[in-house]
Amino acid sequence: MRNRLLAVVLLIAPAWGMQPWHNQILAERQHLKYGGAPVTRELRDRIGQGLAIALLAGFRGVAADFIWLRGQGFWEQRQWFKQSECIESAVKLQPQSIFFWDVGAWHMTWNIAYAESTAPDIATRAEGIRRERLWHDRGREFLERGLQNIPNRFDLYYKLGWVYYQKLAADCGGEPACQQARYRKAAEYFLTATTYRDAPDYLGRDAARCLEKAGDVAAAYQLYCKLWQENDPHRNAYARPIIQREIRRLENLLDIPVAARLFPMKPVAP
Amino acid sequence: MTDHVGFSVRRVWLIAGNTFTESLRQKVYNILLIFALVVIASASFFAQFTFGEDIAQTASYELKSIKDTCFGALSVIGMLIAVVGTAMLLPNELENRTIYTILAKPVRRVEFLLGKYCGTVLLTLVSVVLMTLMFGAELVFKETRLVADARAESARQAIPTDAQQLAQQIAKIHAAAFDPDIVKAVLLIFVKLCLLAAITLLVSTFSTSMVFNVAVTLLVFFAGHMVGIARDAWQGHALLTYLLGVLPDLGLFNVADDIILGNVIPWAHVGKVVAYGGIYLSCVVGAAQLIFATREI
Repeated sequence: MRNRLLAVVLLIAPAWGMQPWHNQILAERQHLKYGGAPVTRELRDRIGQGLAIALLAGFRGVAADFIWLRGQGFWEQRQWFKQSECIESAVKLQPQSIFFWDVGAWHMTWNIAYAESTAPDIATRAEGIRRERLWHDRGREFLERGLQNIPNRFDLYYKLGWVYYQKLAADCGGEPACQQARYRKAAEYFLTATTYRDAPDYLGRDAARCLEKAGDVAAAYQLYCKLWQENDPHRNAYARPIIQREIRRLENLLDIPVAARLFPMKPVAP
Repeated sequence: MTDHVGFSVRRVWLIAGNTFTESLRQKVYNILLIFALVVIASASFFAQFTFGEDIAQTASYELKSIKDTCFGALSVIGMLIAVVGTAMLLPNELENRTIYTILAKPVRRVEFLLGKYCGTVLLTLVSVVLMTLMFGAELVFKETRLVADARAESARQAIPTDAQQLAQQIAKIHAAAFDPDIVKAVLLIFVKLCLLAAITLLVSTFSTSMVFNVAVTLLVFFAGHMVGIARDAWQGHALLTYLLGVLPDLGLFNVADDIILGNVIPWAHVGKVVAYGGIYLSCVVGAAQLIFATREI
C-alpha cells in the first residue's frame, strides 16, 4: 500500500514541479512561432473528424497536405469556394508554410479570378470584372495575412508586390492616380523583399520597373544605378547587360547630361 | 534473498540485451518495421506538386510532402513499435512463467524491470535509426532526381538557364533536402517514444492484459497531445491546470512540422524539451518500480 501511495505521489509530483518549466517551454514556442492554430471545435468542423484525430495525434503536416490536395481536387472540379475553404484550412493548420500562402494566393488572384470573370452565369462584362476584382482583393488580403505570419522571409513580400504589379494596378480602370499608387506599393514590397539575403537579384529590377510605371522615373534610374554598383559580376553576370540596357534607356529618357551619365557612350551594336 | 543482493548495472544490461534479442524475433515487430520502411520508401509517390514558380520551388514543396509523410511514419509506427513491444514484456514473462526462473536467481526486481525497459528503448532506438536511414536514403534519391530534372529543364528551355542560376537552383534543392535540423526532430520523437514505452511499462505493472496496456497508452498518447488545447480551454482554473500536469504534454515534442517549414529550432529549446521528457520518464519508471516491487507474482 505504501509503495502504491508513493507511486501516485511520484506521478503527481511533476504536475507541481514541472509547471514553471512547462510554462517556460510554451512561452518559448509561442515566441518562436511554433505550431499552428489550436484544434478548436470550429477547426474540427472545418477539417472533419478523421483529420482532427490525425491532428491530435501530432500529424499536423500530413493533415495539412491532405487538405491541400483535397483543395486541388476542387480546383479541377471548378468548385472555387470549396477550394478556397481548403486553402484557408491548410494555412490555419500550418501558418508558417510559405507554399500554402503563396500558391493559395496564386489560385485566388490568377486562376479563380479569371474563371469567375468568364463564368457562363455572368450577365454582363461589368459583372465579370466585378467578380474578378473581388478575387484579386481576396488574394491580396490573403497574402497580407500570410505576411503577418511569415514576416521574416522575402517570399510573400515578393508575391504581394507581384499581385499589385500584375493585377491590382490593372484593376484601377485606367485611373492614373490609383495605378501609380499601386505600382508604388508594388515597388515598396519588392524593395522590402530585396532586404533579405536569399532574395533573388531580379526583385531589385522589378522594383525599379514599378517605380518607373508609378511615374517616378528618376527614382527608378537611381535604383538601377544602385543595382549596377552592387551587382557582383562573378555571381550574377547575366544581370549586368539587363541593368546596363535599362540605365542607358532611362538616361536617354531623363535626358541626363553626358557628363553625368553612368554610361556616356552609346552602346555599340553587336 | 534478492534484497541482500546489491544493484548491478551488468545484470540490467544482460536482461536488456536478452529482451532486445527476444523482441527482434517477434513477428509483430518485424512486420511493423517493414511496414514503416515501405511507407518511408514510397513517400515520394505522395509528393506530386508540379506548379512551383521554378524547379527549386517545386522541389522544396515536394520535399516538404516527403518529410511530412516520413516524420508521420516515424512517429506513428515508432509509437506502435515502442508501445506494443513494451506491452508484451511483462504479460509474456508471466504467461510463459519465465519471470519465476529469473526472479528466483539473485536478480532484484528493479534490475529486472529496468533491464526490460532498457531492452525496449534499445529496440526503439534501432527502429528509429533504421527508419531515419531509410528517410535519409529517400531524401538522397529524391534530391538526385530533382537535380537531374533541374539540369534537364535548363537544357530544354529555348534560352538555357545561366550556369550560375542553375547552380543556385541546385544549391536551393540541396538545402531543402538536407536540413541538419532534422536530427533535432528525430531526437525529440525518440524521447517521446521512450516516454510512451515507460507509460506502457507502468500500466503493465498492474495489468496482465496486453490489449489493456496498449489501449491505456494510446489514450494517454491522444490525451497527451491535447494537453495544450485543454490548458487553453481551462485557463483560469488553477486546480484543473494543476491536475493536467499529470499528463505529459506530448505536443512539445512535435517540432518536425516547424523544422520542415524552415523554422529555426535552437538546441537550447530541444535540450529543455528532452529534459522535460527525461524527468517525466524517470518519474513514470520510478512509479512502475514501486508498484512492481510489491506485486504478487
